[in-house]
Amino acid sequence: MSPTSEVRKNQLLAALPPDVWRRWEPALEEVDMPLGQVLYESGVAMTHVYFPATSIVSLLYVMEDGASAEIAVVGNEGIVGVSLFMGGETTPSRSVVQSAGHGHRMRGQFLKDEFSRSSPVLHLLLRYTQALITQMAQTAVCNRHHSLDKQLCRWLLLSLDRLEGPELSMTQELIANMLGVRREGVTEAASELQRAGLIRYRRGHITVLDRAGLEERTCECYAVVKKEYDRLLPLTTAR
Amino acid sequence: MRCHTDARSVCLQTCIVPDHQNLLIAALPLRERKALLAACETVPLKLGEVLCEAASTLRHAYFPQDGFISLVATLDGRPSLEVGMVGVEGMLGATLVLGVRTAPLHALVQGAGHAHRMAAAALRDQLDHSVALRTLVGGYLHAGMEQLALASACTRFHNIGPRLARWLLMSHDRCGGDSFHLTQEFIAYMLGVRRVGVTQAAEALQRQGLIAYRRGEIKVLDRAGLEAAACSCYEVNRRASQRA
Repeated sequence: MSPTSEVRKNQLLAALPPDVWRRWEPALEEVDMPLGQVLYESGVAMTHVYFPATSIVSLLYVMEDGASAEIAVVGNEGIVGVSLFMGGETTPSRSVVQSAGHGHRMRGQFLKDEFSRSSPVLHLLLRYTQALITQMAQTAVCNRHHSLDKQLCRWLLLSLDRLEGPELSMTQELIANMLGVRREGVTEAASELQRAGLIRYRRGHITVLDRAGLEERTCECYAVVKKEYDRLLPLTTAR
Repeated sequence: MRCHTDARSVCLQTCIVPDHQNLLIAALPLRERKALLAACETVPLKLGEVLCEAASTLRHAYFPQDGFISLVATLDGRPSLEVGMVGVEGMLGATLVLGVRTAPLHALVQGAGHAHRMAAAALRDQLDHSVALRTLVGGYLHAGMEQLALASACTRFHNIGPRLARWLLMSHDRCGGDSFHLTQEFIAYMLGVRRVGVTQAAEALQRQGLIAYRRGEIKVLDRAGLEAAACSCYEVNRRASQRA
C-alpha cells in the first residue's frame, strides 16, 4: 500500500518506494502541531524527527539572553531533525511551530537504524540537508544586509511554498522571535504590506493576497533558496 | 615555534600528531588514512584564491595543513558574509558526504599555507566504501552546520567590536603563528559591514593593546584580552568543534 493522501502531503514521505513505505508506515505517528509548540530545545537530546504536512516549523538560534534569530524554515518539503542523522544527538537550534497544522513523527532511533541499512531513499534526506544548508547561509546573509520588510516578504513566500493555500495562522510574537526584532517592528512591517494590498492581516492570521507583489518586493534571497530547493528536491507529487 | 592554537588543542590525546598533519585525517583509522593520503597531493593555498564558487561543481576537497579558508555567503555573486572557517581542524568539501556535487558556499583562502587536495570523485568513492570516513566527515559537517546556525544570530545581535575580536581569534587559531595578513576591506566583506566600522573597531582593539595592526598585518598581542572582548560565539564555536 502506498502512502495515504494525508501522509503524501509531506514530499519526502511521498517519495518512499513501496518496500520502504511498508517499514515506515507503522513507525509514523500522526501528530497535531499547534501554534508555538516547541518541538526541540537546543542542546536537548532529540527523541523524534518530524515530517510536517500542513504546518510550518521555524528553526531558531537562541542566544544566552533569550533573544532568537531565524536559521531556516521547514514545511512539507522536509524533515525537522537532520542533526539526528548527521551525527549530532542534539541540535543547536530551537524548533518552533510557526504556522499551525499537522504532520507525522517517528522515533529518532528508527531513522538512525534506517541509515545504517543504507536505504537508497536516504539519499533524498541527504539532498534535503544540502538544501537546508543553502537556506541557512542565505538566511544569515539576508539577516545581515536586508531590511525587515524584505525579510518578512521572503519568509511569507517560503511559507506559502509549503502550504496548500494563501493562509498562514501565526502570531506577531512568533514572527518577532523569528526575525529577531521587537513585536512593534513586525506590526509596522505587516501594516505596510497590508497597506500595499499584498496581505490581509487579522489577529492570528495572514492571508496573502498578491503573491507576485511579494516576489517583486522581496530581496533576491527568496529566489536563491527556492531555486536550490527545486533543483535538489524536485516535486514528487502534483500540487 | 608554532603557537599552541585552539585547533591543535582539540586534537586527540591518544596520538602524537606530526606538525602539518590535518586533524581530520589524523583521526582516521590507519587503513582509511593511508587510502585518503594516497589519493591526495599537497598544494599551496594562496591568499585570496577562490577554491570554489557557490552553486558550482565542487572539483576538489581540501584538508588544510596550515593556512585557512573562509566559507562565505554571497549576494549578487559578491562575498557578503563569512559563515564558516576551515583550518587544520577541518576540510572543505564535507558536503560531498551528502551525495551532492555542488558547493553550497563560496570558499576562499584567507590564510596562506598548504593543503592536502583530493579530487571530489575520489573522495566520493572513498566515502561510499568507508563507514569510518562517512562518520568522520558527517560529524564535521554537523559541526559546520552549527557554526552556520550561529552566524545568523551573531550578525543579528552582536556588535562589530566583539564580532571582530571573535573573528580575529578564529583566524589566530588557524594561522599557525601570531600574525596574519588581511586588508580592512576583506574583513568588511567577511563581517558584512562597512569598512569604516572595521577601521574603528580595529583601532579600539589596538588602543586596548590587544592587537597591533599596520599595513594589513595584524598581530595578536593579548590573546586572553581578545577572548574577553569577543562575543560569546567564539566560545560556543570552540566547544562545538571540540565535540566533533
